Amino acid sequence: MKKTLRNDLQIISSFISENEKVLDVGCGNGSLIEFLSKKKNVDCKGIEIELEKMNFCLKKGLSVVQGDANYDLNDFSDNSFSTVILSQTIQATIFPERVIKNLIRIGEKAIISFPNFGFWKVRRDFFFSGKMPKNKILPYEWFNTPNIHLCSVNDFIHLCDKNRIKIIDKVLLNEDGKRLWSKSFLKNLLTYQVIFCVSKK
Amino acid sequence: MIDTNFFFVICSNVLGGCMGTTGPESINPDTKKPYGLGFPVITINDMVKVQNRLVEALNIKKLFAVIGGSMGGMQALEWATSFGHKVNSVIPIASSYRHSAQNIAFHEIGRQAIMADPNWKKGAYYYTKKYPKRGLSVARMIAHITYLSESALQRKFGRNLQNSKFFSFEFETEFQIESYLKHQGISFVERFDANSYLYITKAMDYFDLSIKKGGLTEAFSDKNLSYCFITFSSDWLFPTSETKTIIKSINQSNTKVSFAEIRTDKGHDAFLLDEPSFHSTLKSFISGQKKKFKI
Repeated sequence: MKKTLRNDLQIISSFISENEKVLDVGCGNGSLIEFLSKKKNVDCKGIEIELEKMNFCLKKGLSVVQGDANYDLNDFSDNSFSTVILSQTIQATIFPERVIKNLIRIGEKAIISFPNFGFWKVRRDFFFSGKMPKNKILPYEWFNTPNIHLCSVNDFIHLCDKNRIKIIDKVLLNEDGKRLWSKSFLKNLLTYQVIFCVSKK
Repeated sequence: MIDTNFFFVICSNVLGGCMGTTGPESINPDTKKPYGLGFPVITINDMVKVQNRLVEALNIKKLFAVIGGSMGGMQALEWATSFGHKVNSVIPIASSYRHSAQNIAFHEIGRQAIMADPNWKKGAYYYTKKYPKRGLSVARMIAHITYLSESALQRKFGRNLQNSKFFSFEFETEFQIESYLKHQGISFVERFDANSYLYITKAMDYFDLSIKKGGLTEAFSDKNLSYCFITFSSDWLFPTSETKTIIKSINQSNTKVSFAEIRTDKGHDAFLLDEPSFHSTLKSFISGQKKKFKI
């Protein structure tokens, strides 16, 4: 097992207490749920759409159901998990609003992380080149990107306000993975990646 | 996929079959004649009880996994719900918790084909030397179509003719698909007993875990078991939606469940064929469970 978790995953795991019941939507190769189940004795389940990534999870002995966050979350009942995680996936969903509503319905709280499209370098690149910006976490061309619903920190807050979603906490990270002051006036410009912890009002 | 140098694999014939374990062809000790229709109607649960007796006789306390495709998957699920304490992992492949109306319908046509054969004689054909071959082979031909997919049939046979370039405008076998099905039917008759076919298809039709313990959620509530359900996208006999019904009912429970749908055009039979992504998923699950149980 790898000792180091991806930066945003480490922050996500800090939001989760021992013995919780967690659903990781878009769990990829399962490194987060593996960490949580081994280090925090968390009862974990994963959803992953790609078979090859799923197989990685199975090899680790994790429980993973092949599924699509856009459609298959409807099959989970209310409050059946203490925490539902959606890391670096919301921007690739077809129905982000529906997905987020489902997350807070299924979990007592939901943790959602995504790359901030309001980041100043993204704006700068678009401003000067006039082309869709690319960076380390958004490496695709516009015509082959899975990221069809990119949003900024402010966009996400707007969505939460509109749907009466409570923002319990948020962690803003700069390009070096260092935390920014969450009340910073320039947060939408300086944040490279963000992790929101939300719930029903 | 399953390393037989590492695992001890038990693979027994089923109760009601005709290749080892007692079935309608077996001699009834009371009458000294084959049971025929005197054989009691059996269920998947009965089959699994017999398997359990075998496992007891082998003095095995715990099975690493029960695995099976189609009816074998039903047996694996039956193991999970009847003898879950003796099992670590359950791997039902291309299977379901029950037969749908369509499944029962296809089975019934097969049974009617057998029973309509004048040689069947209400199952008492063993000493007549006239075997209900036509009926059983028609039953097999129907069933065989359900094991394949429309696109696989088209890919393999299309509208190709078997021996000639032109239509004969007669009722002889001339399309390749006709010849193929006929071959499937005839070769099946050589190795299978018609009454066994009746009993086994009926056992599958009666199978329904949704009524066993008050619902699927209850039936699959044992949190010590690890399930890995595998389905095939083109399987219309046991479609993915059937397995998803199980997944939905245990999603929120503490049951350890994994599920994968393999994309293939090979239909239900894919579980018997060389299907690399199926094999890699199966291998992954087994190696994960090996690690988990530290063996």
